[in-house]
Amino acid sequence: MKLVIDHLQKKYGDKEVLRDISFSFESGKIYGLLGRNGAGKTTLFNCLNRDITCDGGSFYLETEEGPREVAAEDIGYVLSTPTVPEFLTAREFLKFFLDINRKSIPNPKPLDEYFESMSIDPEDRDKLMKDYSHGMKNKMQMLINIVAQPNLFLLDEPLTSLDVVVAEEMKERLRSLKEGRVTIFSTHLLDLAVDLCDEIVLLSHGTLERVDKATLDDEAFKEKILSALREENHA
Amino acid sequence: MLNAFLQSFSLKNTYRVNAILYAIKQIPLVGRLLPDSLYRVKGLKIFANVLAGIWEVLTIFAGKFLYLGLMVVLPCAIWESLPYETLFLHILIPLTILGAFANTYLFNPTRDKYYAMILLRMNARDYALSNYGYALLKILVGMLAATLAFGLPSGLPLWICLLFPFFVAGCKLIVVWISLADYERRGVANNENKLGKLAWLVGALLIAAAYALPALGILLPWQASAVLFAAGILAGLLSLRKLLSFREFRSMYQQLLPQAMNQRANVTQATRTRTEKMISTDTSVTSHKEGFEFLNELFIRRHQKILWKSSKRISVVALVLLIAAAASLFLFPEAKEEVNALLLVYLPYFTFIMYAINRGTGFTQALFINCDHSLLTYPFYKKPDMVLRLFRIRLREIMKINLLPAIVIGVGLTALLYLSGGTDNPLNYAVLLVSILCMSLFFSVHYLTIYYLLQPYNAGTELKSGTYRFVLSATYLVCFFLMQQRIPILLFGALSILFCVLYCIAACILVYLFAPRTFRIRP
Repeated sequence: MKLVIDHLQKKYGDKEVLRDISFSFESGKIYGLLGRNGAGKTTLFNCLNRDITCDGGSFYLETEEGPREVAAEDIGYVLSTPTVPEFLTAREFLKFFLDINRKSIPNPKPLDEYFESMSIDPEDRDKLMKDYSHGMKNKMQMLINIVAQPNLFLLDEPLTSLDVVVAEEMKERLRSLKEGRVTIFSTHLLDLAVDLCDEIVLLSHGTLERVDKATLDDEAFKEKILSALREENHA
Repeated sequence: MLNAFLQSFSLKNTYRVNAILYAIKQIPLVGRLLPDSLYRVKGLKIFANVLAGIWEVLTIFAGKFLYLGLMVVLPCAIWESLPYETLFLHILIPLTILGAFANTYLFNPTRDKYYAMILLRMNARDYALSNYGYALLKILVGMLAATLAFGLPSGLPLWICLLFPFFVAGCKLIVVWISLADYERRGVANNENKLGKLAWLVGALLIAAAYALPALGILLPWQASAVLFAAGILAGLLSLRKLLSFREFRSMYQQLLPQAMNQRANVTQATRTRTEKMISTDTSVTSHKEGFEFLNELFIRRHQKILWKSSKRISVVALVLLIAAAASLFLFPEAKEEVNALLLVYLPYFTFIMYAINRGTGFTQALFINCDHSLLTYPFYKKPDMVLRLFRIRLREIMKINLLPAIVIGVGLTALLYLSGGTDNPLNYAVLLVSILCMSLFFSVHYLTIYYLLQPYNAGTELKSGTYRFVLSATYLVCFFLMQQRIPILLFGALSILFCVLYCIAACILVYLFAPRTFRIRP
């Protein structure tokens, strides 16, 4: 399966944020999306998630049965600021989610098994989520998105505000989840991108461009990415 | 010093002009015609500058005229029997003292001061003194014009008119002196927006002295007022020395301004915290339903405080008022005829009452901040059939919540109509009851529909839609306009039932057509 983006465009007023995005993302890989501040990473995610309408171009999933539209249930979207419905407990949220997705998740496991898998402690499962810490909310958001088994996993700076232990757990989880789906991971942290991602893609001048690692070691690769990002200033 | 003043004035003007342009950009339709680069379009800038200039002049005169007219001249006209001059001074003096510490300019932490002294690091003393001088000058000019305009025609001696503005300035300077000395002693800056308990108490006493004493026929003799006048002006002059010799403006404003700026930036945050606090922490509240009904039931039950509880409270208050009205009809049968006549034409008034007691805006705000704000980030929640299914459930809930007080009011009014002598046409009873219920349904549908069609909030829970604001204000204005109308029950009732039914049908069709696309978090 592939996610194919074809000449995607988005303008705000006169400013072309996404000028001409064309790229093919393959499943089973984690793509690190890098770009300067204001390059349009969140705009790209919002377009794919249909939170905003695009001005031109298209995107679709290329499956074995042929191309098809990206449906809402194909997408899992994890934001840097995790948002969970604060008036529910974690257990209620998960139950609600499984209830309304009964068609796509026909044989759900017992709820506690899901919490176990995300190492959410038993005493936290029946607390209102308004009392959750940032890291706990993040875990819960990730859990819901994982249970949904999305074909396309969009992660917008998901690890930046987590403590090192939780961040390390998350990284492991992302690696274990990459099979069978496209994962796009946007970040400002170069080390993290190089460490976690299989491919690095730059968003600059409103276009996407793959950075080839070839035979470079990590340090040389980072230097190459940096200089590509710096060039943007002079272009 | 003059330089500092000119710089700060031009700074204040710049952001005032930008604020005007920003406001224009928010107007639906008009805003869309304007380019994004409107902040550098010369014609628009000149236009906004003219508006800013008019605003500056208005701040000199309008406030003072309103103040003197409403607070002093009008009350003076009420107690015609009392000697005019003495009464005028009697009201004026306590109010002036109150104004001296409640409205200081110098200790009001405003944005312009923050920008100039903290962000741009202008010389604090130059800034404060020159702008304070300008503020005093505005007071002198504005007050002089207002006292002359109001005082002379009503026979106030010229000396009072001429001296009064200086008395106002003097009182303000005395407060400045006290506050600055206090800062030097304790290191705590006075903030006029955070008055202490003592200041509130003194304020209340001063207002009582201004208005309650004349009602009892007690007035300060004019000789005493004259002495106070003279003392205020002299003490003000002495205070001026303190102001000019004060050296610690920077440290004082460093303390005063940042905290005030935080308060302002946190208004959205405060709304959010307040709304989050509305979630009942009672985890014994549960639901045995499934899916969206489960979500909805938990939401309603954990938001009792703003939904059912407040609706029940309104119903009880309405019931008590209606019973009191019915009881007074028995006690004073002579009022029956008049009440009956009023009821038959007063239905439009109740549009406003139904508007005022509707829980719709509170409901949608809580819906967004505590529920949709987070769930809308999950793709499954935005699937069209899910959006519509939840809309139906929510519409049912908000209708139920608003219907309780509507039934009380509708039945109560019908009963009052009957008790006050009834009507020849029994249709009046039915139309009265049904139209009140329809109004309640209308507001329920209205608020939920505009919420689903315009979804005005962004991810930071800020209200971003100018159109949404416009619709809310228009709703208010229409209801306010109707409040002034006197139309027979049958005509107005029938029309409002027809309108409400048509509106609800149209609204639901629009939601079904567009909400799956419009019900999104604003970028």
